[in-house]
Amino acid sequence: MKLGRRKFLGLGSAALAGLSLKSEQKIKGSFVNDSFQMGHLLRDRAAFPAAKHIEKVPVVIVGGGIAGLSAAWRFRKRGFTDFVLLEMNPQAGGNARWGENEVTAYPWAAHYVPVPGPKAIYVRELFEDLGVLKDGQWEERYLAFSPQERLFLYGRWQEGIEPAVGLKQNDRDQFQRLENLFSEFRRSGAFTIPLELGLSSKFQHLDRLSFSDWLRQQGLDSRLLHWYVNYACRDDYGALASDTSAWAGIHYFSSREPEEKGPLTWPEGNGWITRRLLERVGANIRTGQMVHRIAQTRRGASVFAGDVEFQSEFVIFAAPMFLAPYLLENFPPLHDFAYSPWLTANLTLERYPDSRGAEPSWDTVFLDSPTLGYVDAMHQSLRTHIDRTVWTFYWALSEGAPAQNRRLLLEKDWTYWKEAILHDLERVHSDIRQCVSRIDIMRMGHAMIRPAVGSIFSEERRRLSRLDGRILFANSDLSGISIFEEAQFHGVEAAQKVHKKLHG
Amino acid sequence: MGVLVFISVLLVAACGLIYELVAGTLASYLVGDSVFQFSTIIGTYLFAMGIGSALSRYINRGLANRFVWIELLLGVVGGFSSTLLMLAFAFTQGFELILYALVVVMGVLVGLEIPLLMRIVKHRYQFRDVIAHVLTFDYLGALGASLLFPILLVPRLGLVRSAMLFGLINAAVAFWSTYLFANQLSRTRELRVACLLVLFGLGTGIAEAKHITATAEDNIYADEIIFARDTPYQHLVLTRFKDDLRLFLNSHLQFSSRDEYRYHEALVHPGLAAVPAPRRVLILGGGDGLAVREILKYPQVESITLVDLDPEMTKIFSSNPMLTRLNDNSLLSPRVHVINSDAFPWVASNADSFDFIVADFPDPTNYSLGKLYTTAFYRAVARHLSAQGFIVVQSTSPMFARDSFWCIAETLKQSGLQTYPYHVYVPSFGEWGFVLAGTHDYALPKSLPAGLRFLSVDGLSALFQFPPDMAPLPMPANHLNSQVLVRTYENDWKDISH
Repeated sequence: MKLGRRKFLGLGSAALAGLSLKSEQKIKGSFVNDSFQMGHLLRDRAAFPAAKHIEKVPVVIVGGGIAGLSAAWRFRKRGFTDFVLLEMNPQAGGNARWGENEVTAYPWAAHYVPVPGPKAIYVRELFEDLGVLKDGQWEERYLAFSPQERLFLYGRWQEGIEPAVGLKQNDRDQFQRLENLFSEFRRSGAFTIPLELGLSSKFQHLDRLSFSDWLRQQGLDSRLLHWYVNYACRDDYGALASDTSAWAGIHYFSSREPEEKGPLTWPEGNGWITRRLLERVGANIRTGQMVHRIAQTRRGASVFAGDVEFQSEFVIFAAPMFLAPYLLENFPPLHDFAYSPWLTANLTLERYPDSRGAEPSWDTVFLDSPTLGYVDAMHQSLRTHIDRTVWTFYWALSEGAPAQNRRLLLEKDWTYWKEAILHDLERVHSDIRQCVSRIDIMRMGHAMIRPAVGSIFSEERRRLSRLDGRILFANSDLSGISIFEEAQFHGVEAAQKVHKKLHG
Repeated sequence: MGVLVFISVLLVAACGLIYELVAGTLASYLVGDSVFQFSTIIGTYLFAMGIGSALSRYINRGLANRFVWIELLLGVVGGFSSTLLMLAFAFTQGFELILYALVVVMGVLVGLEIPLLMRIVKHRYQFRDVIAHVLTFDYLGALGASLLFPILLVPRLGLVRSAMLFGLINAAVAFWSTYLFANQLSRTRELRVACLLVLFGLGTGIAEAKHITATAEDNIYADEIIFARDTPYQHLVLTRFKDDLRLFLNSHLQFSSRDEYRYHEALVHPGLAAVPAPRRVLILGGGDGLAVREILKYPQVESITLVDLDPEMTKIFSSNPMLTRLNDNSLLSPRVHVINSDAFPWVASNADSFDFIVADFPDPTNYSLGKLYTTAFYRAVARHLSAQGFIVVQSTSPMFARDSFWCIAETLKQSGLQTYPYHVYVPSFGEWGFVLAGTHDYALPKSLPAGLRFLSVDGLSALFQFPPDMAPLPMPANHLNSQVLVRTYENDWKDISH
């Protein structure tokens, strides 16, 4: 190692200048995409303007997340264009929204889709439409590049998120036993995506206890194993394993074949899919349209947004379920729908921090951090030389009660969250403050449905997903887990039901 | 006169601190672990100062004379300290020993200064004033030096010249002390001559410092460095020994002028001479213009597009006389279009078609470079290929990195191309490999351009024969989402280096 000493000297003087004058770059940023103000108007039953205009349109889709966009996609694929999609926010996409700056596009929430299995036929159909799947081959540029995931633990990096360093024989045995249990569940065929296709009462007992209790029942108590399953639950459900139904925890691990290929991802995460869908259905979308009432009528339903009454034959309710009691007349309060609060942040980096020898990965996780780590938007770039980038930082506020965390989200200012994020990153990247120029933060009080104990086999949920009248529900909340495939499944199914009724 | 004495104290204190900082910084740069280096060096230095102060009581006569000699000695030792340390690191095994010995010597000398000076001036002031004034200026000097060092000295002058500058100041203090304390001195003329000699020596040192740094770095490379530059993309070094010019990128050898013709003739002609009427050629990488030189030997080629990431690279290979002599001014040919761009995004977004494509990238030593050896990349490149065209890929050594070589061949194959691997012997590299690929059958060319020094029509078929120790191995293809090649390459080279 006697190479490039001049460069070494150059770097050294920079480091020394850093020693004597620790200059923190001025970090700009703000909260973005806040939407709770609108939610609170509904919650508080604020007065909305009376309808001044009437629009007649056969179908109204309420909500422009993946479920709503997928319903629209299905309609247009069937040649049906006589519908509108109303989205409350200025930008459609829901949990598949994205942002863009002079460096790159980046996700605001969901950032990947696992390579879909054979049962996810709508997802496969969509990906064929979008050129992601061609002649049975996945487009290589959309598969996450290597190196994909890394975990920082005990002062060093390892590849992959499942801890592989510092395990005792007992830990190793327990990981192996857990994997064997998951393989058995996988073979049973009851844990599928879409979830509804495999759901079997044979495993209903697993919905009656928490994932962590179930693990303990199996004699699995390894600290690292519990950290790992907790990470998985926080990452996919925004909840700790002790707040997650064992059925849902098992589903996370047993619903997909363990394969090396995926997942599918893009610089802007699932925003890429949203963009492609908008290219196809954008003409039917009206953004900034906050629906404040949906009323059954004799020949259909009326949707009130702003001062317009949309008189329609069918309504596809593709907004989150928790809004239903506030929007729908005579809708009973919901009991089995809990939501996890989240925070995501996009950090613009002027350079990569010192990574202690590890090459940047797609997804970076820190052992024992309350946060979920970050994803590098430039990782999917084809460039060989990358200087600036954007990191999307994920934080499911899963410790404690969701309501309390929602309050925390609203009470604390931007500086508080900025500092919290930087403190977390500083554990590993000591020079992070010198790299970051901007931190934008998105707060989501009801970011995703939480598969709490008893929620998967809930009567309420099953009743709502079977509804077949003038108002149909379509969102991943109906599955009880918030993943792309479930949202898309319910969106497409609802559109197909409506289309059939309209056209026989 | 009082003021001048205290300015001397200030300067002397600054010098002392600078030597300490120089030693700490150099040790951090060269050995690493800056906390440890700074702690131990400061500790040793302060301890040595204590020894110096303790020793001062044994100096009883000729205080002023001794003071001047100490200043001079300190000027020399401190002034050349960073030079000595850099050379020690480059040429000896005992860097740490020399480092701490030097720190002790400097510390002892610095520890002697202030006690002696106080005793020299003590009869002029009251004791409490001497203490107050001397210590005030001592600490002020330290503050000044500690600010100057990181803000101005290191960035502007570098460590070698900073140390020399302060050596010069030490010597200057010695020199004016011969006037300041003239009434307490003996053999004044002798002292002044010594001062001037030291001043001259350090002055020359500052002027020549560049060569000292280069000499230390030279030892890393076998030959004399004639050009070194950090571009935003890479560390570029050019060395020369007699008529042998060598280019290193990030310390990896790219070519030696003595045998590069073997590499570049082999890279270009087996493929290009087999294309019936090549009009348009694309080179990815290859900013040295040497492959272009070979391609320009085909008069029917109308245009050559060269895509290289680093503008510095293509700039010096179009302007430096030594280098343009090597590539025959190839980059200045009107047939050549240089595009400074990242290859993969360029290939993915451009729509032109080419009759021959050269991919001449550095070996896949990391995941960034590994992207340029994937099925996704080759598929994107193949879309630019005309019906009669071929692609040639520099594919590392089938001898030293046999797995990697066959992994690249398999990757091209799985990108939907027919492959024709071959190899040549390049003395400065060893056995080196290429993979020719296209969408149709390859037949050896019946003729080659005139004036080649290595390839001949008769010799071509031998290039495509692989002896058993380089024979094909079943390897997986390299994909963006697996990057098996980077790991394979690392293992290949781990096996033969240490």
